[in-house]
Amino acid sequence: MNSSNGNVIHTQGLSKAYKGVKVLDGLSLEVPKNSIFGFLGPNGAGKSTTIKLLLGLIRPSGGSAMVFGQDITQESLGVRKRVGYLAQDPRYYEHMTARQTLRYTACFFYRGPSDMIEARVAEMLELVGLEAKADRPIKGFSGGERQRLGIAQAQVNYPDLLILDEPAASLDPMGRHDVLAVMEKLRKYTTIFYSTHILEDVQRVSDTVAILNHGRLVAEAPIEELLAGKGSSAMYQVTVKGRAGQAQKRVESQPWVQQVLSAAEDGQTSWQVCVSDEDAAEDQLLRLILEDRDLRVKRFGRKTYNLEEVFMSIIEGSN
Amino acid sequence: MATNTTVDRKAVLAARHGLVPASNGGRLGGFGNMLGKELGDWFGTRRWIVQAIIWLLIINGLMAFIMFIVPAMDPSAQMSPEEELVQGLGLYFNFAILFGAIGMIILAQDEIIQEKQSGTAAWILSKPVSRSAFVLTKLLSNFVGGLIIIAGLTGVVAYAELYLASGQALPVLPYLMGLGLILLTLTFYLSLVIMLGTIFEQRGAVLGIAVGVLMGGLIASQFTPLVSYFLPVKMPDIALALMQGQPLPTIAISQLITAGAWSILFTLVALLRFRREEF
Repeated sequence: MNSSNGNVIHTQGLSKAYKGVKVLDGLSLEVPKNSIFGFLGPNGAGKSTTIKLLLGLIRPSGGSAMVFGQDITQESLGVRKRVGYLAQDPRYYEHMTARQTLRYTACFFYRGPSDMIEARVAEMLELVGLEAKADRPIKGFSGGERQRLGIAQAQVNYPDLLILDEPAASLDPMGRHDVLAVMEKLRKYTTIFYSTHILEDVQRVSDTVAILNHGRLVAEAPIEELLAGKGSSAMYQVTVKGRAGQAQKRVESQPWVQQVLSAAEDGQTSWQVCVSDEDAAEDQLLRLILEDRDLRVKRFGRKTYNLEEVFMSIIEGSN
Repeated sequence: MATNTTVDRKAVLAARHGLVPASNGGRLGGFGNMLGKELGDWFGTRRWIVQAIIWLLIINGLMAFIMFIVPAMDPSAQMSPEEELVQGLGLYFNFAILFGAIGMIILAQDEIIQEKQSGTAAWILSKPVSRSAFVLTKLLSNFVGGLIIIAGLTGVVAYAELYLASGQALPVLPYLMGLGLILLTLTFYLSLVIMLGTIFEQRGAVLGIAVGVLMGGLIASQFTPLVSYFLPVKMPDIALALMQGQPLPTIAISQLITAGAWSILFTLVALLRFRREEF
């Protein structure tokens, strides 16, 4: 069986339509092994649809996908044996306790020994901080407690792939912090594919980010590339002190400079230099500025974006 | 290569964590675990006590009222032991089949729909569980519940009531066969309701159709014998004939085949329909 070149998830033109309306349109992406892959998009972008397709909860209208080299429609049972899943709005049997729920989940993957299963259940309860409520019916659990239980049941089977749909939803800041810490810790054991709205979390833990909008993949890149604005025009931020007019003309005359936006304040001049050739800019831009010996360079560097800026510009661009 | 990888991975897991992976299961993946949970919901909670009380009151309580209390209040209603026995058997089989069927419809109408609407079906099916196993555990757990409580428990109590009323111990084998007919009828309605639960999203539709089949069949069978060839409406008559050692009605074979065949067909449709369900 083709292991998809070390990628845990490989989709090719994956689509889903309901009554002729496409909610997922030709999604092609690859999730490398032992990576943390963030899946972003506004509400209704198709994130949960993608996750449900991978798990066999819904059927694709077109395209294909492999998880661990196994087809999601033909070999779904084999896929689910190696996956841990946390739904966006986790639901359990309300009359069961947290301990019973975890035991029940574990028994889909393991048949014994029972003391080892109990030990694993206890370990998971401790991991998510539910030991004190382990033997109470879930009916009385808060949203955050259900979410934590969901994280525990997703991991109880030592999954090779963790699929988390909004894992930090319903959690307070401490809870979110704990979830991210768990994700970081699990990285060497498993691959994590998760969707979220919380861009700050994505920026913090993800290796690769994919952005979905209206069912289409509009961006996919390692997080550093996305934040550095690679693929779009690179921009350098320069702040100089002194008479900057000559230097600016010199920079603007370069064929690889698209635009220089200048702003003066407090005796300093700030430039945003848009370049078309990053290599040329890396090599020559600072040298051009320093040709003026009277000019002091206070700041020089490639502009980095925060994920929210990138996300908004991509979404607005794709709209 | 994939098989070797799977075996190696299992061995690694077992060595690393001391846990033994569950067997593949194939088309019935997760069946044992789910069945254990469903039977636990029946017999590990108060549900079985509540159901036992309900059915004992409805079936055996009504029998006791008619067989013991009415004659005590109205001496003219008193009968000979033989008449008591025939009446009692008729009461039991009619009550058990009619009320039992209604009860099974009410108990099972929510089994699939509740899981779909609450989201627990999607959660379970995200595990290595086959959809066939999911449906079959619902069928089997309710079958066992019906077997033990509606047929078994009330049957035992009814046997005692009939003995008290008639002074005669009933032949066990025909009585057990009569209980089997009750169970077959309950299975018919159970499989019907489970199938309807995989088709519809509203409980009303499931209840309405199932009760309609039950009551409509009983009423229609009074006017045309043709109904008896399609619906299990004559089971009490067959049970009574068995107990009295009389020749079985000519309709008996077709009733057994009808109930059995429909139950199998409903189950197959439920399995096929649920396989297509999206969550």
